[in-house]
Amino acid sequence: MYLSGFNLEDCGKAAAVAAIAAGIVCVGEAAWIHAKASLAQVLIGAAWRRELAGSSRTQPWPWADTRPLARLTVREGRRAEELIVLEGASGRNLAFGPAHDPASAMPGEPGNSVIEGHRDTHFAVLRGIKTGDTLRVETLTRRDVDFVVTDIRIVDSRRARIALDAEQPRLTLVTCYPFDAPVPGGPLRLVVTADAIHYVNAHQ
Amino acid sequence: MKYLSLLIRSVSAAFAAATLTFAAAPLASAHASLDVQSGTLYLKSSPDAEAVEALRVTTAMQAQVTGNVARVRVTQTFSNSGKDWVEGLYVFPLSADAAVDELVMTVGERTIRGEIQEKVQAQANYAQARSEGKRASIVDQERPNIFTTAVANIAPNSTVVVEIAYLETVPYRDSRYTLRLPLAITPRYTPGAALDPGASLAAANAALVNVANGTSATSERVTAPLQNVDITVELAAGFPVSSVVSLHHTVEVNDDALGKKIHLAGRGIPADRDFELVWTPAAGGEVAAAAFAERVGDDTFALLVLTPPNVADDTTQPREVTFIIDTSGSMQGPSIEQASAALQMGVDRLKPSDRFNIIRFASDYSSLFTVPQTVDASSRIRASQFIAALRADGGTEMRAPLEHAMSAPPSAGFLQQIVFMTDGSVGNEAELIALIHEKIARTRLFTVGIGAAPNAYFLEQAAAAGRGSYTFIADREQVRSRMQDLFRKLERPALVDLRLLWPGNLTPDLAASMPGDLYAGDPLVILARLPRAPTGDLTLSGRIRGEDWIHQVPITRVDEHSGLSKLWARERIADLSRQLQFGGDRAPLRASILDLALRHHLVSEFTSLIAIDDAVVRPPGSSGHVEQAPTSGPAGGYWAQTGFAKTATPADLLLLCGLLSITLGSFCYWVSFRRDLAP
Repeated sequence: MYLSGFNLEDCGKAAAVAAIAAGIVCVGEAAWIHAKASLAQVLIGAAWRRELAGSSRTQPWPWADTRPLARLTVREGRRAEELIVLEGASGRNLAFGPAHDPASAMPGEPGNSVIEGHRDTHFAVLRGIKTGDTLRVETLTRRDVDFVVTDIRIVDSRRARIALDAEQPRLTLVTCYPFDAPVPGGPLRLVVTADAIHYVNAHQ
Repeated sequence: MKYLSLLIRSVSAAFAAATLTFAAAPLASAHASLDVQSGTLYLKSSPDAEAVEALRVTTAMQAQVTGNVARVRVTQTFSNSGKDWVEGLYVFPLSADAAVDELVMTVGERTIRGEIQEKVQAQANYAQARSEGKRASIVDQERPNIFTTAVANIAPNSTVVVEIAYLETVPYRDSRYTLRLPLAITPRYTPGAALDPGASLAAANAALVNVANGTSATSERVTAPLQNVDITVELAAGFPVSSVVSLHHTVEVNDDALGKKIHLAGRGIPADRDFELVWTPAAGGEVAAAAFAERVGDDTFALLVLTPPNVADDTTQPREVTFIIDTSGSMQGPSIEQASAALQMGVDRLKPSDRFNIIRFASDYSSLFTVPQTVDASSRIRASQFIAALRADGGTEMRAPLEHAMSAPPSAGFLQQIVFMTDGSVGNEAELIALIHEKIARTRLFTVGIGAAPNAYFLEQAAAAGRGSYTFIADREQVRSRMQDLFRKLERPALVDLRLLWPGNLTPDLAASMPGDLYAGDPLVILARLPRAPTGDLTLSGRIRGEDWIHQVPITRVDEHSGLSKLWARERIADLSRQLQFGGDRAPLRASILDLALRHHLVSEFTSLIAIDDAVVRPPGSSGHVEQAPTSGPAGGYWAQTGFAKTATPADLLLLCGLLSITLGSFCYWVSFRRDLAP
């Protein structure tokens, strides 16, 4: 009779402590996602500068299996956000920076270059983007190609596909939508299309 | 009380810690603006963020072939799955010589038959019906082989069915009959397209602008193949058929009372390549020539189809061949492989007495040799190396390489020919065809259409202007046989100095001028209007391999619903349009086209079909938006498509759960703590 009461009290307390601990772990995990996203961009930025300088050591950290591909500047109103784009749009790379779909054209080259980024870290900047905003891409071989946002649409990723053709350089930035949906993994995507301005073909 | 404040302190501390942790992240702003609910996003009407695509268009095609004429019905189902009223736009390809004469709009039980109107008038009527909240649909011709359907006021969660019908001739060409149903559009490249920001924005909004003011063309919104299609063909060839083959699709062929019935096998077949159905007459059943006449009112319309005898040629005249190969971005993938294989085969077939050159072009052009070279071991090796190095990339600037090839100085004793290999995905077709017409002189231009969805209109018209012929290569397996067809034509014309003598000395009003020469395997299709019904045979004369040739063709009377008058009018309109392109006097030509199109109920560049339901369905005040359903691009590497990565982190979810769990845990702990202290 005494035993059960004691147990219940204790269990409740233990559960409460466990809940608090789990909560702290969750918050920590969330913090880690953001910290990783910010920290990685710093390391990748350093690797990018090394790459521009001609160094062969292009990995942002020794065990990285990706390398910086281009610098993307998103100018939205007065704000400008610089992001280093990584090679290969795997889930792991996306944690560190916006990533380039290797099936698509290289950024700044003729063709459609697809860059995907997390809606709540690097590509949170796309929340306020408007047609007419400008983007700039700097790559190792072709410096400073400017783009203007020509189309913004929300698509259902189960139905839509992105075509990779384009006669001129084109950027397609993709991020999850809506920005505020609490549960990740929804089917909608925000697709921002930008076309090159004053592009001169290298053949000419 | 003490514990309560403790709890508040601990929770706020946790929040503070969390806030501090996320100081660098844009999370605070993300949570501050919860004003947008996910449900309302579907109705977002700001011009910068379009609503989720709610419009889908599915296509079914039904073709009835009777002898040399096909009647094709295209059924487009516009489904709006959204919560908003939608105006649907769809750009689609049709055969370039399609005489589009029927539009039927069906909504539930209601069926509204479309009528032909001058384009400007039709667009104004459509705009008015749209703003009044009536259901309306309009079919416009954007380019000779690209059409647009617009449907106004499609209710939320409803469907509008638009049926379009056209007629076309099915000639006997290269020893086979071919029914071609274009299903995909290879996006067109328009040279010199401005790239300043204003122009780019204008291009992106062209579809909307077009509907608003009814002027500029709707730009195709071509995507990777997403559209599905269903096809049925009823084939009444009029003679025993030895084989029926679908070249690019799997079909089921069944015999029925009238002939054969062909179905696309399976469901949900992507519209990523043109449908080509080919049939050949059983041995001995070849029809060299046939003539039909139809009486409509006071006029008689006649159709003559003739295939010149396929004679072996023993010509010894050497040729000077300039191959032009398109290496623009749209040729990427299988197209450039097919074109390279065809080009290599072309070079291999040359004789040692011939001369040749190769020009490749994209945004720029370059040639193998500065002037055509004699065919020998060394020039063959250089050609093979040149072909092996071809890569598809860049724009489609055709004008300069064509001009270069046509301006080659005449060389005595040589037949000068240009073999032009391209998918024809250009927006400046009219300009190029006019250029060829003007500069071709004694050279002959032959086109080879490459890929799953070439611009057949451009390829056929360019060949006609260049007084040559054309062939199509849709996949690797066809390269050999189609190039052989072309080589037969290249050797020399099969039938020259062709003349027609109508019975009873009737003076015909031909829809288009007679071609001077016919190449091996090419059919002659003549549409004529006669002052009265012909009695007796039609006499054809010409010369084959230097010898006189005469042929008598009986004229078969057909009933007046066979559509010969419409085919005649369509051909005449095409001829008048060509004269417009070649710089003819605009006002009278436009008036003639308009008159013909209105009289024969045909869609043209100046007329549109329009159907309006008089009932007002959209309640006043309710908003709507425009959606353009994507048109399928062709299959192949060029259209390689990409999916979507998961681009949302669970950070927000984790944070929410974490804070919730901390709060709940703290509360429970506090409650049990209180109970411990209780006496």
